[in-house]
Amino acid sequence: MAGATHVFPQAWPRSAAWRRRGFRRALTFYLLISPWLIGFVLLGAIPLAGAFVMSFTNYDGLNLDYLSFVGADNYTRALGDADAQYALGRTLLLMAFVVPVGLALQLALALMVNQKIQFSNFFRTIFYLPYVIPVVASVWIWKIFVDPTGGLLNALIGTVLPEANIRWLVEYPTAVLALLTVWAAAGGGMVVFLAGLQGIPAEYREAAMIDGASRTQVTRYITLPLLTPVIFFNLVTGIIVALQILVQPMLLSPGILGLNPGTVPPRDNYLYAVHAYIEIFTKQLFGYGSALLWVLFAVVLGLTVLLFKTSRRWVFYGVEP
Amino acid sequence: MSVAAAPRRASPAQTGLRYGPVLVAAIAFALPIFWVLVTSLKKQSEYGSALFPAVPQWVNYELAVVLADFGRFAANSLFLSSAYALLAVLVSALVGYGFARHKAPGGSKLFLLVIATWMVPNLVLFVPQFVLFARIGITNTYWPWILWGLSGSPFAIFLFRQFFASFPRELDDAAEVDGAGPLRIFLQIYLPNAGPALAASAIFMFLWVWGDWLYPALLLHQENTTLAVRMANAYVDPRGNPLQTVTMAGVVLYVLPLIAFFAFAQRFIVRGIVTTGIKG
Repeated sequence: MAGATHVFPQAWPRSAAWRRRGFRRALTFYLLISPWLIGFVLLGAIPLAGAFVMSFTNYDGLNLDYLSFVGADNYTRALGDADAQYALGRTLLLMAFVVPVGLALQLALALMVNQKIQFSNFFRTIFYLPYVIPVVASVWIWKIFVDPTGGLLNALIGTVLPEANIRWLVEYPTAVLALLTVWAAAGGGMVVFLAGLQGIPAEYREAAMIDGASRTQVTRYITLPLLTPVIFFNLVTGIIVALQILVQPMLLSPGILGLNPGTVPPRDNYLYAVHAYIEIFTKQLFGYGSALLWVLFAVVLGLTVLLFKTSRRWVFYGVEP
Repeated sequence: MSVAAAPRRASPAQTGLRYGPVLVAAIAFALPIFWVLVTSLKKQSEYGSALFPAVPQWVNYELAVVLADFGRFAANSLFLSSAYALLAVLVSALVGYGFARHKAPGGSKLFLLVIATWMVPNLVLFVPQFVLFARIGITNTYWPWILWGLSGSPFAIFLFRQFFASFPRELDDAAEVDGAGPLRIFLQIYLPNAGPALAASAIFMFLWVWGDWLYPALLLHQENTTLAVRMANAYVDPRGNPLQTVTMAGVVLYVLPLIAFFAFAQRFIVRGIVTTGIKG
């Protein structure tokens, strides 16, 4: 069969056999990807369309009897919602700290463990470990670390300033949240940077060294420019993740007893996703909450597009050697 | 020392510059984890009064298991994580193979769609899914995870597509001549040679469910929920006072299998690369 079409491809371009074969090929492809396609339609496309419609209604998540369309009311309300504005401000503030500091730390860690040093695998493991620790555990780790009663942080500070007994989660909740976020994400970013560093041919650096460049100059003028695509990748993913932070502030409540899905974090850690979550799952305002989430999606999308636009100015996509 | 091979011999100052920052960073990263281990071995009366336990209280670990019905929640987590990881990895491999090796009109556009679903914020997708699951009555069951698994994961589909695209096509041709269909080619050629990709994605799928707090907290109830949700609550004594020490022992027990699994699987991934002779 394969031979026949190969010998006379021009003679019967639309023969029944040829068409049957094309159809069979397409059918094979669609059968193979069908689990994803069906899942995408049922769990992706339809719910998303539903969520979009929902954002124009007063849906309460339970009852369809009182359902009515409210037009763009949810969106005008979202834009005028003082809580949403405050929460967005806190989120952007957190992002403005966590993303650049996180990126710099990830890059520094990658540069450090990429050197020829003893126990480099051990160091890599230490830095990577927080990345695989589940969120519930990492929140506990930091809660206990900064706990005024039995925490190590205050004990260490106490050796210098015996009078200072800081209640971190009450006085500086955002600082703890930022530290936790940077600490937990560092390993993942480091590995991506490490892969990028190892993709840079050693000859480039060696050639610069032979020409008399110092170690700092090599990093500044060879390694960093060649690493800009990786920096860009980590920057985009970092921003997308930072804008959606939800579980950490909710779990990081000052109480020691733990948490339930109804916990409201301290005002400082009242982030945008937390606000949307509370409107939806605590206040049962599914319609309004959906509108809030679409606004978040628009912000994420807008920032991503903006970053891609600026990337042409500073991201170096290699030239052929 | 491998450093000796370098043209310049390192002076003590250079060695200090090389190891100083990395040591400081490692200590800073490990300190909070170290403190959880220390706390988990204290007597409750030592919490807040003594920096280190006088005698390590291993009994805290026993209490962490007994007081919280730890075994049952761990079993729930293990079942849910394994079921999801198994389904999602197999389905994603099949779909990735379809995208890598079979062509059809609209195929490449659909692949863009796979990547696009990544961009959608989790909560945007989850809220309507939650409504859907509630409407068809599968909240409080494990069905949502089974359904998620059966539809594969965009991340893993992307990974497998890239991975399979690097396989030599001659293998397919030879198998086709022997009369093997696409499914048999997948099962007998692609899947057995995908060890590293299978292991790597299975670990991350497993990790995701084991570590997730939000979805089980919203979808399951107190009885059938996962260890993550149970561990979010502190252990208390009969009068309702928090037992930080036992709670930390529980946290260690919750994380430990994960780290052991990672250490074990990492070796497996490396071996997978060696034995199959295929580089990722």
